[in-house]
Amino acid sequence: MRRPISTFLLPVLLILGWEVAAHVIANPFVLPSLTTVTPILLHPFSPAYTLGSGSLIDNALASLYRVAIGFLLAALVAIPLGIGMGRSRFMHDLLDSTIELLRPIPPLAWVPLALAWFKIGLVSITFIILIGAFFPILLNTIDGVKSVKKTWVEVAETLGARERDVLLKVVLPGSAPTVWTGLRVGFGIAWMCLVAAEWLPGTTRGLGYLILHAYNFGQTNLIIAGMVVIGVIGILIDQVFRAGEHRWFSWRALER
Amino acid sequence: MQAPHQVYMKFSLHIMLATLVAIGLVIAGCTTPGPSAEPEVTILYTRGTGPMPTLLATDQIDGYIAWQPFVEVAPLAGIGKVLAYSGDLPPAGKWQNHPCCVFAARQDAIENSPDLTNALTAALVLSTRYIEQHPNESAEIVADWLAGKGNFTYGDISVSSVEVLQRAFPTVKFVNPPTDDWKRDQLEFVYAQRELGLLSGSLMSSTDPESLDLLFDSRPYYAAAAMIESGTIITPPAQTRQVGVGYLLSDHHAALFVAVKNWQYFEETYGIAIKPRDLTASRPEIADLMVNGQPVAELKLISADAGPQLMQLAATNTIAYALVGNPPAIAAIDKDTPVKIIMAVNLEGSGVVIADDAPADDWESFVEWAESRSAQGKPVIIAAPGKGSIQDVLIRSALEESGLSVKEG
Amino acid sequence: MTLEIRNLAKEFPVPGQDSIRALSGISLSLAPKEFVSVLGPSGCGKTTLLRIVAGLDGATSGCIELNGEVVDRRSSKMAMIFQEYSLYPWRTVLDNITFGIEMQNVGKRPAREAALTYLHLVGLDDFADRYPYELSGGMRQRVAVARALAIEPEILLMDEPFGALDAQTRNMLQKELLEIWEKTEKTILFVTHSVDEAVFLSDRIVVLTERPGRIREIVDIPLPRPRDRTSPEFARIRRHVLHLISESGQPKEDLRVYPASL
Repeated sequence: MRRPISTFLLPVLLILGWEVAAHVIANPFVLPSLTTVTPILLHPFSPAYTLGSGSLIDNALASLYRVAIGFLLAALVAIPLGIGMGRSRFMHDLLDSTIELLRPIPPLAWVPLALAWFKIGLVSITFIILIGAFFPILLNTIDGVKSVKKTWVEVAETLGARERDVLLKVVLPGSAPTVWTGLRVGFGIAWMCLVAAEWLPGTTRGLGYLILHAYNFGQTNLIIAGMVVIGVIGILIDQVFRAGEHRWFSWRALER
Repeated sequence: MQAPHQVYMKFSLHIMLATLVAIGLVIAGCTTPGPSAEPEVTILYTRGTGPMPTLLATDQIDGYIAWQPFVEVAPLAGIGKVLAYSGDLPPAGKWQNHPCCVFAARQDAIENSPDLTNALTAALVLSTRYIEQHPNESAEIVADWLAGKGNFTYGDISVSSVEVLQRAFPTVKFVNPPTDDWKRDQLEFVYAQRELGLLSGSLMSSTDPESLDLLFDSRPYYAAAAMIESGTIITPPAQTRQVGVGYLLSDHHAALFVAVKNWQYFEETYGIAIKPRDLTASRPEIADLMVNGQPVAELKLISADAGPQLMQLAATNTIAYALVGNPPAIAAIDKDTPVKIIMAVNLEGSGVVIADDAPADDWESFVEWAESRSAQGKPVIIAAPGKGSIQDVLIRSALEESGLSVKEG
Repeated sequence: MTLEIRNLAKEFPVPGQDSIRALSGISLSLAPKEFVSVLGPSGCGKTTLLRIVAGLDGATSGCIELNGEVVDRRSSKMAMIFQEYSLYPWRTVLDNITFGIEMQNVGKRPAREAALTYLHLVGLDDFADRYPYELSGGMRQRVAVARALAIEPEILLMDEPFGALDAQTRNMLQKELLEIWEKTEKTILFVTHSVDEAVFLSDRIVVLTERPGRIREIVDIPLPRPRDRTSPEFARIRRHVLHLISESGQPKEDLRVYPASL
């Protein structure tokens, strides 16, 4: 991370502001004091702070595993589909209306159907995550492919490229930065879908599960601890994506 | 410059519009609920008990009705005070021993795997008897299952979950026998759900005998009781596929938790046990049903957020057995979900909590308070877990009995 | 390598209307090592002509022959250089140059070595590992030339390659192009807007009419190189060509060029 001071300034201020506000409001139900939340965060390896749901780390790993699978599957489907829709007018016209119809449906709304179709277990949870990640990846891939300059393609053709060469040597590298952005956004949304996905019965681990269980017992401090962990992991992973962007795709920003 | 008739047209349009708006406002004003004729109480459905303590502490509700341990938590954590336990709600005597949670099974499980069903029923019956004998130990087990024996923190007060559960247990009656009285009491809930318009299928206009027939199949209970009496549990044939058992995170389902956590005792004493695969987990997910030393079925223990969710899992054959509240079971059977209620799992075990500073400490003073609040145009708000739930039926009946009409908020 | 363009015509269909006739009856022969420019008013179809020769678009009628054989699609004997945005920004300068060679299943080492020679030819040896965004417009076009030369075509097709550059860079690159042309002995078909450029560079200038483009006249330029932009002969030819592409279309005088001995 560059410029650590400005990166951390606002979060630190928010934390301080929180404590001050908590004291001023003096109603721990409206704004719980950080002292009820921090012990949970300071013992991430201990199962004693989570109402029997296992340690924070255990739950975080369980969630990461599921989101990773759902995300990768989404990418595996969305990227080829996006390339096809970006390159072929026919494919685009065929699929566009269906996709625009499905896109606004929040992943949470898919939960009952996921339960009915895929039964309880990893598949239904992964499905919800996949829905979350799918559309940003798809749309950005289409966009990226469309942004590949016609000249680049024609140069390749005049230099002897066949269809396959054009795809592999021009379209893919040319659209890669936008696709990468789609992956970054897609992962962020997939990560956000945790609570919806882990709401499925039969889930016994995970940050979303932790929050829901805490909610059922009105344990706001545990809910907040879960939220903090979700937020921190989300930021860290986003930073990984940004690092990749910087390392491989600087050329996009620097092109005139 | 416009011709006079054009100006007139525009002007008269504006007048018409203004008149319509004025009329609308007057009507709206007249229909705004001011102090109404009959005193009323608002019921707010919270889809579960989770938000109730926060709502009460932030003055968004005046009280709530919930299942244990959310009742006992209130005085211990300084959230509120207990107004009445569910069995004591008016009409006097009506709700004593009111049915609450049941043990239900898919019909095909009862028909095609009778030995398994009977054995599972027996395990729960033995566990229930144990709870009656060892309430404190059982309460601790439940605290482990629900909360890892950790603390409940409400606001800035923390209370030990063990203590909360141990205080709550005496208010829950853990009994199983599906007596005729019990079955008749269940019908009260059928009537109540009909009135609320929640039934639209087989139970909507069934006669009492028909309802009883549709709802209950107690053969497994009697078979289990007989086996326990005789001292021998019949070993069921080994199951090849995983068997799902659903439950809710409520101390009413203690029979299951105690059976699992105390598996060693039950195996040694009765030759039947629900043995968890992970012996250290607070909330085991997989367990083996052991009968006479042999594992006969791999059980997947699935907790759901609410009864209707459990019944949906039963409908899709994800679970074959469930500990569940009776209203969701009734609603499911109404929709022809192929399940039957075998026996009770508990009676009573709910209660009404109100704010500490509420000017009421018994039902009579509560009614007075509700009436005066209603007269001020600010009816008392009581939260209930869900429409048609046991708690909802109870509070409505009690309120209406006391001359208060119920409005949904 | 002779390039024969026979009676080429191109129509673009427009839905709901009459189609647009871009080119009509273009016939042209290019001898080996010739430098021929195509000039004309806007919309005359000069770029369309080039694209058809390159194989990027198809002709509506007529054909292209290379050494007597009809070609209807892209030929490896030809390479095209575009006006701008043609370099791949994700590849280094050297990797851009190897791009065409990669398609010929040549190994990595030989490809790299070949690319280096062409890099040297355009005078950018020190920039092998730079990225296009680090280069000026003129340098980028030189890379584009190197890339085209790297597949060793017989014919270079150039579509206003210096059109996006400032005047000074443009003049510099024109000179360099002539040097490269002399060294590599390619045939060049060069589309441009600029009369001055065409007169400076070409052996012949093909002047097209406005749409639908037909050949108005092919102007011979027998002046020796390097050519002096300020000389009277240069000016005379320039005037003549300007007249040919002006609106009136009629030449003011018969200004066909006589040999320099006159």
